[in-house]
Amino acid sequence: MELNNILIIGSMSTIAFYMAWCIGANDVANSMATAVGAKAITHKQAVLIAGVLVFVGAIIVGPHVSETIKSGIININTINSSLIILGFISALLSAAFWITLSTWKEMPISTTHSIIGALMGFGIVAGGIGSVNWVKVGSVALSWLLSPLFGCILAFLIFKIIVRSIFAKKEPVKSAKVVGPIIIGFTGFLITASLFLKTPLSENFNITEIHGIIISIIVSIIISIIAIYLFSSIKAKKEEDYLTVENIFKKLQIGTSCYVAFSIGANDVANAIGPVAGIIQDGTLSQATSIPLWLLALGGIGIAVGAMTWGRKVMQTVGNRITNLTNTRGFSVDFGAATTVLVASKLGMPISTSHTVVGAVIGVGLARGLEAVNLNVIKKIVISWLLTLPIAAGTCIVIYLCLSHIA
Amino acid sequence: MLKPYCLRDIIGDRMKNESHFRAPISNTFRKKTPFNQLLDHMGKVRECVDLLGVGLIKYYKGDYKDFSELAKKVSKLEHQADLIKSDLRSHLPSKLLMPVDKGRFLWTLREQDAILDHAENLVEMLDMRHTKIPKELQPIFIEHANLVIETVKAMEIAIENIRDLVETGFVKREREQTKEYIHKVHDFEYKADKKRYEMTKGIYKLEKKLSPMNVYHLLKIVDWVDEIADHAENVSDWLRSMIAK
Repeated sequence: MELNNILIIGSMSTIAFYMAWCIGANDVANSMATAVGAKAITHKQAVLIAGVLVFVGAIIVGPHVSETIKSGIININTINSSLIILGFISALLSAAFWITLSTWKEMPISTTHSIIGALMGFGIVAGGIGSVNWVKVGSVALSWLLSPLFGCILAFLIFKIIVRSIFAKKEPVKSAKVVGPIIIGFTGFLITASLFLKTPLSENFNITEIHGIIISIIVSIIISIIAIYLFSSIKAKKEEDYLTVENIFKKLQIGTSCYVAFSIGANDVANAIGPVAGIIQDGTLSQATSIPLWLLALGGIGIAVGAMTWGRKVMQTVGNRITNLTNTRGFSVDFGAATTVLVASKLGMPISTSHTVVGAVIGVGLARGLEAVNLNVIKKIVISWLLTLPIAAGTCIVIYLCLSHIA
Repeated sequence: MLKPYCLRDIIGDRMKNESHFRAPISNTFRKKTPFNQLLDHMGKVRECVDLLGVGLIKYYKGDYKDFSELAKKVSKLEHQADLIKSDLRSHLPSKLLMPVDKGRFLWTLREQDAILDHAENLVEMLDMRHTKIPKELQPIFIEHANLVIETVKAMEIAIENIRDLVETGFVKREREQTKEYIHKVHDFEYKADKKRYEMTKGIYKLEKKLSPMNVYHLLKIVDWVDEIADHAENVSDWLRSMIAK
């Protein structure tokens, strides 16, 4: 039995690591590509930032979403506990299978959608329709509709703010030197606040909410001051020097790239380790009460390795394709998307990061910020939503039935 | 004519040398930006009008040497511009979100292309029959040609300002600036129109001295040269309606 346990944990961890690697290679690269496309950071820097911050995000904010995937989608109590191991293995396998296939076929499906669909499939086949927590599934599906919309609205607003407060002013460069530090300070506030509010970190160090907010404010002020200092030597070459404005935002975009990486770690790590977390507790098999840290770390490392190995190539290609995204636009997209993903992570909502980024791109387009945005992509994304769930569920059911016959 | 925008187009050329991955973000973008292509097209207009400005004046002065060469160059530029135009047109699907009205954008392009079409027709006509411009009309013909060229140049400046408009997300200041440039186009076009009236009058005055065929051709030259300025004005008018809020 002991050996069996180790075998099961080992194989599940391997599949989870593979899932995490896929997420790193595809989703991280997709989302960091805006910064690479705008030439704010090089591929190497993007990979490094992604690797480190995805890991941090996964460990600190990751548990919220993992909890949802672990026990929110299906009512584990209604299913025989011996079946759960099998079911979660099939869910992970079918999701991983779909991601491999969609990567090969270049379908823009989401890792999040696949894993949730697979879990639903398992719930239906093992415990009947009633064992799926439909209220939760409904709210997750709603968040899939809302997250691109939210990303769109945020990116629209932030770009409008940039236009109104910088481009419309008489001296754009001078305005950018004031507005830029304020926005990046605000970004810093959001990241630190998410680090210290209701996270393992704040529990370990006994940081109350008020203290967390105070720390965040201090950090954001420090970031703003650093930014002001960095920009103090920049001068406009002529009256309408938009190039210098873009250069200021190029520097700011390094900040938002970190923000994006961090929020991806927070949200996406759950897709890989959520199912494993459902059955592993301190190296033994039981219905887990909390998510062990080593598992979050495994997921975080998996995503980081994915971003570092294959993600480089993806980033390069996607980045090269979107070169018409200038720094002010890239900043708006990153900010809108990362904020949406982070808020969703805090609420424990597993959402698709790349779909949120697409929503944000459309938001900037609606704000007259982009020359041409292809709205056909929306249709493709909606179709991929509608298809991924039943397909992942179906695959999971098939794998589950096969495995249960063997076992 | 308008073929549907196909994602396979993008994916197609990527598949040749890249590995597979899922990239919904890259699918939202066009490889070439429409405004840059409009500016590329304008570059062809600029080259053509620069050639025409020098060539026309030489022709008016009775120097027909190298004119066939010029006609060939203009025709080549027209063809290159046509390629840009059709590429631009065939990649603007109905679901493409642009910061300006797509119809007006295409009308701007169409009128800009008309400048090249007329320039090509004009030089070919001039090349077919070397019509001598009467000595007394030569100065006014040259003045008119210069005004037409100025009109197109003013239009180029207005179109060039699209760069700033796009960069700033069409802020009021840049729109006002573009409108100022457009006013200049109107000014030059108006002056060219006045000059054209004088030229026509001058030709009728000499009608007894000139052969009917010469009168016919002179009138035709006046009309066709002036039409270039008309189309430059149309471009700026469409540009104006394109950037209107």
